[in-house]
Amino acid sequence: MFQLIWNGLFVGSFYALVAIGYSMVYGIIKLLNFAHGDIYMLGAFLSFVVLGGMTGILGIGNLPILLLVLLIAMLLTGGLGVLIERVAYRPLRGSPRLSVLITAVGVSFTLEYAVRQIWGPNPKVFPIRLSGDPIEILGARITVPQIVLMAVAGLLMWILQRYIMHTREGRAMRAIALDQKASLLMGVNVNKVISRTFFIGSALAGAAGVMAAAYYGSIDFLMGFVIGLKAFTAAVIGGIGNLYGAMLGGLVLGLLESFGTNFFGGEWRDVFAFGFLILFLTFRPTGILGERVVERV
Amino acid sequence: MAKDAVRLPAPKPFIERPPQLSGLLAPGTFMKVVGAVLFIAAAVLPFITATPYIISILTSAFIYIVLAMGLNVVVGYAGLLDLGYIAFMAVGAYTSGILTTTFGLSMLETLPFVVIACIIAGVIIGGPTLRLRSDYLAIVTLGFGEIIRITANNLKITGGPSGVHGIPTWSFFGWSFSDGLNLFGIHFNSKVLFYYFVLFVGIGLAVVAVSRLGRGKMGRAWKSVRDDEDVSEAMGINGYTTKLMAYIIGAVWGGFAGTLMAGHLSAISPNSFLFLYSALVLMAVVLGGMGSTPGVIIGALFVSLAPEFLREFSEWRFLLFGVLLVVAMIFRPKGIWPANAVLPFLKKREIPQIPPTAAVSVVGVLDDGTEDDDGDAWVDADADAGADAGKEGKR
Amino acid sequence: MFSRSTKRLKRSAAIAAIAASAALVLSSCSGGLASGGDEGEEETGPIKIGMLAPFSGSEAAFGDYMKFGAQLAINEINADGGIDGRELELITEDDACDATASVAAAQKVVTAGVVASVGGYCSGATLPTLPIFAEANVPMVIPAANSNALVGQGAFMINGTGAQQAEAALTFAKQEGATRVAVLNDQTDYSKDLAVTFIGDAEADGSVEIVLDGAVNPADKDFSANVKSVTDSDPDFVFWTGYYQAGGLLARQLREAGYEGPLLVGDGTVDAQFAAIAGDGFTENVFGTFTKTPDMLEGADQWIADYQEVSGGADPGPYSIQAYDAVRVVAQGMKDAGTTEGTAVHEAIGAIDGLELSSGPLKFTDEGTLTGGGFVIVTVGPEGDFILHDDLQG
Repeated sequence: MFQLIWNGLFVGSFYALVAIGYSMVYGIIKLLNFAHGDIYMLGAFLSFVVLGGMTGILGIGNLPILLLVLLIAMLLTGGLGVLIERVAYRPLRGSPRLSVLITAVGVSFTLEYAVRQIWGPNPKVFPIRLSGDPIEILGARITVPQIVLMAVAGLLMWILQRYIMHTREGRAMRAIALDQKASLLMGVNVNKVISRTFFIGSALAGAAGVMAAAYYGSIDFLMGFVIGLKAFTAAVIGGIGNLYGAMLGGLVLGLLESFGTNFFGGEWRDVFAFGFLILFLTFRPTGILGERVVERV
Repeated sequence: MAKDAVRLPAPKPFIERPPQLSGLLAPGTFMKVVGAVLFIAAAVLPFITATPYIISILTSAFIYIVLAMGLNVVVGYAGLLDLGYIAFMAVGAYTSGILTTTFGLSMLETLPFVVIACIIAGVIIGGPTLRLRSDYLAIVTLGFGEIIRITANNLKITGGPSGVHGIPTWSFFGWSFSDGLNLFGIHFNSKVLFYYFVLFVGIGLAVVAVSRLGRGKMGRAWKSVRDDEDVSEAMGINGYTTKLMAYIIGAVWGGFAGTLMAGHLSAISPNSFLFLYSALVLMAVVLGGMGSTPGVIIGALFVSLAPEFLREFSEWRFLLFGVLLVVAMIFRPKGIWPANAVLPFLKKREIPQIPPTAAVSVVGVLDDGTEDDDGDAWVDADADAGADAGKEGKR
Repeated sequence: MFSRSTKRLKRSAAIAAIAASAALVLSSCSGGLASGGDEGEEETGPIKIGMLAPFSGSEAAFGDYMKFGAQLAINEINADGGIDGRELELITEDDACDATASVAAAQKVVTAGVVASVGGYCSGATLPTLPIFAEANVPMVIPAANSNALVGQGAFMINGTGAQQAEAALTFAKQEGATRVAVLNDQTDYSKDLAVTFIGDAEADGSVEIVLDGAVNPADKDFSANVKSVTDSDPDFVFWTGYYQAGGLLARQLREAGYEGPLLVGDGTVDAQFAAIAGDGFTENVFGTFTKTPDMLEGADQWIADYQEVSGGADPGPYSIQAYDAVRVVAQGMKDAGTTEGTAVHEAIGAIDGLELSSGPLKFTDEGTLTGGGFVIVTVGPEGDFILHDDLQG
């Protein structure tokens, strides 16, 4: 039982990290960044490359090194997120939503298959593997890396929460989410804030990618696809556009999957997750914490 | 309402509508003729070369056209992004595959079941989500596509991961394509017969029906909902049922294409219904031109035949498609052959100048900057003033 | 309105008539429907042998392994003077592991005039090609695809089938003294087939108890839920039937969760990458069922050297030797039949008795499968690759 809860929370914290980016971008420019899951994948591959360049100073299970790589990868993926927004999404601001969504699908394909062309279709083995002896707590086996990774995820989310709720830039973000035109008239540099949002969201997804790569140890070019879908599901469950909702939704979905797998078997797990998404949208499209989304303006 | 109620005469229009174009160079007529000629060329082709390979890839390509035409209703006409469209194909293929192999029905007898199954699937997925924002729909359809595939992979009746095999070809009241046919001393084997069947019934029906649907009352309702749902609701169009209709019709087309595919391949498995293939159909529609019949046909042929003719590039195919999607959306959002494109040498309807006394400016006819002529062969001609013009969308 | 549309109809009807008459003139061309039947079989020139394998997509590596293996056999036979003085020629086509592509590819090689097929890696892509080759009277020897759905449909399979592999796995489990076995598959065709067959055999046999029949999602990295099901069922033997990508991660996570017993993997996981993905120290007590590879055979070094000459230096991989054998079986069939006519060759292949293959002397069952599957048990060696552990002959 506790093992199930722990597993769910652990997987859920990855979902939450990715879901935050989804939710933030959606909250601000109402865009479903379909390529968001692929940023997670790129985080893993970029850190793979960075580590490859640092082989001289590698010790296996080197936490400080990993944290350094995590930072570098976050900067890189964040920059990439800004670049994607600049190249693919900004020219389409004000286009019909359908065009923007299709572009996002195109970006997702481009990223996946570019990585595939560079590193091949087979999984790559990540040079750093985190493993530790498990500790028994309440009948659940918990390893030190798990605790560390969850702490890092929690820390990132906490920093983000402080940033959005207690800084000037955060206020600008919230203002744009409420009313883009009015913020522009009040002197907020909308383009800059949107870029910043993409940077933060992508950096968090990239961080999740690095952590997953270090914990599980193998990376492949499609690893972002399923987690992108799951993160979206998590964002919807929590209430899309709501920061706390994304965190909560991630954990809830992780728990749901953990228990669902236990009761229905692994082969039905994704059916279970997506079925849940459809049910949620039918009965409570605003999610657990979301306010009423006004569709008509 | 009493029949003899006094009716107010309709106000006189500000501008005289230009006369209908006629003659071979009128766009509508010309496209029909081109279509007929291409259709006949396709019908004649087996007399020129009937190698099994050519017949087989063309049959696949035609089935792809049917599929893309179905998605065109959903994406092109109604403006709903469906990222799990291949699921409907799976529903159709599995329904007919299971009914023929396990229950011994003929392909023809499975059609009603396929239609019913697809309608149910369309309602299940469209019902709850079409009330929501369109981008929710995109992800939900993707999830639904995965649900269908995983379910097919897990159930016994669908053959699990191996799928269904030994699906018979089409037969009518005891006569099957596999018996072959002799006409005028020419022997038509089963593959060629199936090719003709797909050509006449599949493409003929798909292209004519879908493009007529798009021009009819339903199609105009779809387009108006796509362009501005609020305004069309104000004009008395029920946005929800209109979208649901588009969705169901798209689902039935997808199912029909699936049935054809099952007969063509004789074996289907869940791996043929990955998200990748949904994305490929979407690319066919988007690159060709959303809502444009010739565009979708070109797109479908391109997507289905490119891997055959460019086998050495097959590794690069998906990367290329991804880049093309982004580029197309930025520079040519309406595709290779936009819905309102008219070949430059055809007649165009002149939109007369509005007399300066008119107190109403017709916005969006004269000054719509959405489709600028970017130096290529296409020129806009808005057949119905403003109907296809200026898809401002919701800002 | 009405008159206009009829006018338009008339015009398109006229154009249609012109086009149709042009078509009838054209139809007297050769190669079309009206040009009579197939051309008679060529009795001169090279004998063409077709091979469908994945050369693009996620399984692309296997296409090359199979192609070079087959090419090596063809080179050897041609150096020996070919068959009745005619050389063999290999025609490869990409099936991308996809049903639609494989149907087109099969039609393509049939059109090219192949008289036998030695391809087939993915079962899902091979199934739809069976009726095409059957209709064209082309005998099939399948080197790799081994789903039970292929059995008994007129094709010969020289890779052991799932049934034979399951048998080998059960034999080994009993040898190890297993009593409680947990089985996990990855929901692919091959994997589920193997798991279901194994469970059926085990229940019929009765000496081991199946405590878990589970499935993982191979696209995932986190199998903690599956691992928990395994540890909850308290097995003393785990059988994983899926592929190595997920298998490596699963092996690691099983060990981390405290499972210490033997882990048996199917031949999809017997890959050099397995140990790398699982990581150092996580490959103890891991065994695999596998058909013999070149490096387990006598005189293997010479064969590998020959292979590298053909492949331009690349090492042979899984199914290289099976593809090599497939060509030899076809060639033997043609020699025995004295013709390349499909039916005769098919019968001759079915009658082959004792041709020495890597899996042992060849004898097909009535269903076209090997009499003995040729499965052996391998284990992870110090280098991280799989080495022979037990040939199950004892």
